[in-house]
Amino acid sequence: MAGAEVLQLTRRQMVQLTGLGAAAIGLMLSIPAIGFLLSPLVQKTRETWVRVGAVPDLTVDQPKPVTVKVPSGEAYDTTPVDRIAYLVRKSDGATLVLTNTCSHMQCDVHFDPTLQQFLCPCHGGLYDVHGNNIGGPPPSPLPQWVHRFEQDSQTGQTILFIKNAYDESI
Amino acid sequence: MLRFAARPLARRFRSGYRWVDERAGTTDLVHKGLYEAVPDRGAWAYTLGSATLILIVLQFFTGIFLLLTYVPSFSSAWDSLRFLQTSDRFGNWVRGMHLWSAYVLILVIGLHMLRTFLSASYKRPRELNWVSGGMLFFLVLGLAITGAMLPMDNAGYWTTVVVTNIPHYLPFIGDPIRTLWRGGDFVGPITLTRTFAIHIWVLPFLLLALIGAHLYLLRRHGEFGAWVNYSTTTDDPDREIAERIRRAEPPYPTLRIERQYAAPRKTVDFFPNQLFKDTVVSIVLVAIIFVFGFIAGAPLDARADPATLTYVPTPEWFYLPLDQLLVLTPQTYLIAFGVFLLIGLGSLALILLPFYDRSPARRPLSRPEVLVPGLFLAFMVVILAVLGVNRLYGL
Repeated sequence: MAGAEVLQLTRRQMVQLTGLGAAAIGLMLSIPAIGFLLSPLVQKTRETWVRVGAVPDLTVDQPKPVTVKVPSGEAYDTTPVDRIAYLVRKSDGATLVLTNTCSHMQCDVHFDPTLQQFLCPCHGGLYDVHGNNIGGPPPSPLPQWVHRFEQDSQTGQTILFIKNAYDESI
Repeated sequence: MLRFAARPLARRFRSGYRWVDERAGTTDLVHKGLYEAVPDRGAWAYTLGSATLILIVLQFFTGIFLLLTYVPSFSSAWDSLRFLQTSDRFGNWVRGMHLWSAYVLILVIGLHMLRTFLSASYKRPRELNWVSGGMLFFLVLGLAITGAMLPMDNAGYWTTVVVTNIPHYLPFIGDPIRTLWRGGDFVGPITLTRTFAIHIWVLPFLLLALIGAHLYLLRRHGEFGAWVNYSTTTDDPDREIAERIRRAEPPYPTLRIERQYAAPRKTVDFFPNQLFKDTVVSIVLVAIIFVFGFIAGAPLDARADPATLTYVPTPEWFYLPLDQLLVLTPQTYLIAFGVFLLIGLGSLALILLPFYDRSPARRPLSRPEVLVPGLFLAFMVVILAVLGVNRLYGL
């Protein structure tokens, strides 16, 4: 004897029951799947400090690129990869630690000494020596690396540390 | 069994085929496939659909073969393709064919759409053919761009960075979309795995489903185009149309709208007339891919370098107009407007074409209300492409 006939279900009840069953299966499948899919939204980047070293001699308003091995910290990736920090001495003595990540589409910008501007090769974004966006599509200045300076008590040098994070989200 | 084995070979094959045919209905199937009435006029233009199908099959074929070596890993993807380039001549050839058939596919699918647009084949009752075809076009573009990201050379890496960053400019949901695609705030190992999964499972799965729907609808409504497509020539249109339909096969549309009818003036059987032309076009296209895949191959830049100060990222040629649009829409709100509103509305207008072009008119010149905007759109895309070429390569 078939199950539905034993239970004395009408066709309408049977359809409703099947629909409920399908919904239950769908729910059980989608809770873990959708949670898995959305998990990057709640995961935190692992932030670590990296010792860059002594700040080199800088000329005012002459950005100097320094290559730093920085772990990306995304997901399981902890391999340090080469990244660029542009050190810029301002006339008031402060030092900027700019990333070379364009605020438009995150391409790598580079400093052009003849133009005295940062150029983005992707869509022609322009920044002045302090990283302020002055032309092309970029909506905001170049972000800086999160950084701190420490005075080495023995040598008297200024040591730069950067975190694998930007000070502005772009 | 003994009696079967004792028969001559040809007879054994024949009786073997009869056994299969009786159970699977193969002869019926082949006849259904081959003896369909198709319009005699414009037969070469009608080869573009089958060429698209052949090229997609070629993409599946070469793509599956690439999986024999390619590793979807942030650290190893480039090495695996570098290995193909330096040590596996045939593997590199397959990769070249995968790339070139993608290029040819985009061109052919564009021509196929253009042909359908000009001949107004999307009119009742074939609106859904157009809708599914339009979706297939966008799926192919999605496959092309995700495929371009996979090699993890400089070109692939910066394509990944820029393309996954585009959603950032969508209000509210943009950043979550970017994070979900990248598997984090920035491009990282999960970005590649997710893009790979999209490229080899999600999009091909949708592609196959839509191809099924597209072909089913094609066979359902026949090759004759819309109900409003064809006019009669004699004084007795009812007899003329009846004669045509008698020669063709059902279920071709037979509805009469004013004095215009559904059947073309002259039809031929799909086999051998159309099949011959389809085959010629497909052989030529596959031969081009075969040769270009070997001679030109697929490029592989230096390993992805997030610290480059010299690399100039350039988009794939079919995304150049979109890339130029990014250049021309500075500042945040304009990017949202330029990219999403313009592209979104343009795509929607393309897909929904049959729902606002509903007149019985079929000739391009008698449909200025869609021809003019269509040409304008095509003109804008060309202008953007020219501007982009000028910006990147300096004309």
